[in-house]
Amino acid sequence: MMLLIVVLSAVLVGCSGGDSESSGDNNEVTVWAMGEEGKLLKDFSKGFEENSDYTVDVQAIPWDQAHDKLLTAVASGNGPDVVQLGTTWVPEFAEAGALKDLSEYTEDYDSFAKENFFDGAVESMEYDDQVVGIPWYLDTRVLFYRTDLLEEVGYDEAPKTWDELKDAAGQLADRGDGMYGLDIDRNDQITPFIFAWQNGYEAKLENNELNFDTPEFKEAIEYYTSYFEEGISQTQQGKDITQAFADGSKPMFFSGPWMVNIINDQAPDIEGKWATAVMPKKESNTSSMGGSVLSVFESADNPEGGMEFISYMTETETQLDWAETSNTLPSRTEAWEDPMLKEDEMFATFGKQMEDAKPGLQTEQFERIAQELLGSIERITQGGADLDKELESFNEEAKSLLEK
Amino acid sequence: MKQLLNNRHPYMFIAPAVILLTLFSVIPIIVALVISFTDMNLKGLANWSAISFIGLENYKELFSDATFIKSVFNTFFYVIIGVPLVIIASLSIALLLNYGTSWIFNTFRAVYYMPSITNIIAVAVIWGYLYNTEYGLFNYLLSLLTVDNIPWLEEPTIAKISLIILAVWKGIGINMIIFLAALQGIPKSYYEAAEMDGASRLQVLFHITLPLLRYATFFVTVTTLIGWMQFFEEPFVMTDGGPLDGTISIALFIYQEGFRYSEFGYAAAGSFILFAMIIIVTVFQFKLQKKDTDL
Amino acid sequence: MATATKRSKAEKSLVILLLIIGGVLVSLPFLWMISSSFKPENEVLAIPPTIIPDNPTIENYINLFTSMNFTVYLRNTIIIVLFSFLGLLFNAMAGYGLAKYEFKGRERIFYLVLATMMIPGQVTMIPVYLILNSMGLTNTMTGIILPGLAVAFSIFLFRQFMITIPDDLIEAARLDGAGEFYIFFRLIIPIAKPIFAVQGILTFIAGWNSFLWPLIIANDESLYTLSVGLSLLQGQYANNFALQMAGAAFMVVPIIIIFAFFQKYIVEGFTMSGIK
Repeated sequence: MMLLIVVLSAVLVGCSGGDSESSGDNNEVTVWAMGEEGKLLKDFSKGFEENSDYTVDVQAIPWDQAHDKLLTAVASGNGPDVVQLGTTWVPEFAEAGALKDLSEYTEDYDSFAKENFFDGAVESMEYDDQVVGIPWYLDTRVLFYRTDLLEEVGYDEAPKTWDELKDAAGQLADRGDGMYGLDIDRNDQITPFIFAWQNGYEAKLENNELNFDTPEFKEAIEYYTSYFEEGISQTQQGKDITQAFADGSKPMFFSGPWMVNIINDQAPDIEGKWATAVMPKKESNTSSMGGSVLSVFESADNPEGGMEFISYMTETETQLDWAETSNTLPSRTEAWEDPMLKEDEMFATFGKQMEDAKPGLQTEQFERIAQELLGSIERITQGGADLDKELESFNEEAKSLLEK
Repeated sequence: MKQLLNNRHPYMFIAPAVILLTLFSVIPIIVALVISFTDMNLKGLANWSAISFIGLENYKELFSDATFIKSVFNTFFYVIIGVPLVIIASLSIALLLNYGTSWIFNTFRAVYYMPSITNIIAVAVIWGYLYNTEYGLFNYLLSLLTVDNIPWLEEPTIAKISLIILAVWKGIGINMIIFLAALQGIPKSYYEAAEMDGASRLQVLFHITLPLLRYATFFVTVTTLIGWMQFFEEPFVMTDGGPLDGTISIALFIYQEGFRYSEFGYAAAGSFILFAMIIIVTVFQFKLQKKDTDL
Repeated sequence: MATATKRSKAEKSLVILLLIIGGVLVSLPFLWMISSSFKPENEVLAIPPTIIPDNPTIENYINLFTSMNFTVYLRNTIIIVLFSFLGLLFNAMAGYGLAKYEFKGRERIFYLVLATMMIPGQVTMIPVYLILNSMGLTNTMTGIILPGLAVAFSIFLFRQFMITIPDDLIEAARLDGAGEFYIFFRLIIPIAKPIFAVQGILTFIAGWNSFLWPLIIANDESLYTLSVGLSLLQGQYANNFALQMAGAAFMVVPIIIIFAFFQKYIVEGFTMSGIK
């Protein structure tokens, strides 16, 4: 048996020696896209191949390992021409100089113009006055709620203000043991910032001001933590949110467009008993802006082809096709004029919400800062720490992170 | 002639594996050691001229990093409780399984090996359910005994113990088959002789079986210790280090610094502290073993 | 087997009972994994979990096979598995060399081998990638296979077992005029069958599940393995659990077959008389 293996291996060694580096064929555009999108994009990019001299090679990369893969590409300069980047990764890779500055090409490609996109999306294209990515598709958080249960506590429409939200959620939580009003995902990095923005908080990164010591920020965190302290939101790890939403124990939560399909698939029983609404308002009803941009790698073999491809992907018509294929939200404002999106109620809520949505703070330290904040909040809601003191030490920590 | 053979052959035997290990493990470790004295991050990775040597700065910072200190403490907690448990559990199961050779025992060998080949997501989902404070099976069973709900994953110390139980469950399989293989190396004649002398079952276990399993036990102890010092997967999928950093391990800390935040220099320094601790523990075991064999 | 007859029936029943109780405990998640692969998505996360699906379906499997570039991934996976058995041979040789020869630097090399187990793999990933890159091995099968061939754990395990083989046997074979490699292949490997069986199982599993290097090294999906293909089914936010369980259940079937095949060698044992 061993001998067999040895012989077999020897044969295989002989065979595999012939593999060589991919050739520098300049009619080929290599694209890295993530997960499901990557798989869909492969077929989808045929439309581009037909209309240009280029061929496209899409490599799908699993989301969880995409960061590792990108690191090795940065280290070796062996990257693709075009890469899909989640908006939160843009500052990090831009700061490392891994992404090509596209600002001088905005004239050649109409669809790169900032005017084409929602304000929140424009923020994620830029880094230090450079244009490092073109918004491909977006996502934003809105309120998902059970219309029937809200009606029972006197709300024919979704809560429109912070006070209404708290009131409705409070009443819903009083329904009994194991009943909650609003589900807040304590591991979600952006939710505390959404509340803060709604309360008028703003960071001024150009002046290196994080402003975590402002009353707006503190009030928002107090509002956030009050949901846990008053038992309106569940502190422990409970049921899966889809199930809890379906059985009514968690009748409201914030989430993104992907949740629409999940509820439709996994909880078909509650069809017609739930809806989405824009965020409840304090000073504003700001939500978060996420999604992905397409960037050209600094080490690209074929930057022209890459830009050509990105340009195609961000044309209004392509965007509408892609929205249909992948169930994501187009980044072009123009696409939202189309009846397909305008008349679909679920889509329309997201469209409206995106007019007031912001990406996370545009610093490569954002993830870290947000994680620190979640840690502080956990110490307040579960460890019983003093809110003022926690926020003070968080502010110090965040400042020192920014200076790194 | 024999002398000559013995000079050349050992190197021929070890060369392929050792060359590969040198290339893909030893050299990268040396590179990582160098990185641990730098401030390398993503920027430095893209442009090597942006890296600067900062001496022992990373190491100094680690020792004042509250999260790191906590992770060291947690890791020792895992190792001290978990390692003996795994070894005793897998040895006991191996001894039970070695009891017979009928199809029942064949089947059970496969059954007890199952945890180590169960997909980690399935493990996380099911154990997440078992440990769920409100709806979990464990708390349901306890409520039948009128015991209050236990916050399995929501209180730092209990969460650590919960993760240890999970890791022991998962770690039994591989050690069990190693012990089983080792048990086959014990000549049956030893047992027969002992039986003739009228030795009791326990005497056979302690005076024949266990001493003859010495090399296997040593292997299992060393590798289990190394594995548990690098405790990672369980907190990674179950708690991500929470609550309140109560379950973060050194390896998880390194992962978060290195891959989530791209602080490669800092993460490398963290792993060399871990490296040093593992070496100390391992050398200590070798010393013990040497003493043991001398006796 | 002479001893077995003397043991009472009651004792054997007790052992079996103990094994059954423990067996249920250890196999629950496994059974859930298999059964969930036959559940529709809305049933997978039901609380409490069900072991028998309420509405069994094979849709997940149909989905699985239609959404993956299956033949290519399977071919790559099998190539990696075959090579990992070559690695197993290297490891066995190294283990034997370290166990049964006296030579200069033996201790030092042994400790060096052990030391490579002591650093978390994440830290060395980028240096390894850069080394492979400088050898021009990125985007090649060779580049995927090489880093996984030599495994310190495996070398150490072989050494620990081969050290217990009596020196007299080897000396006797040498006196009979057998060459060193002849001794290794014809004498040592048969004696060490149980440990080869253990290592065979471990090697197969590692190769069959190989994930990180195929993903990092490949710049082309034609080099992806089954594990990588399966992980592409996960979304950024939404996880399709039922589909993933179908993938996991599919992946585990060959492992069980291999285990059943090798495990009889683990317990077969060797008798001294069989060697000569």
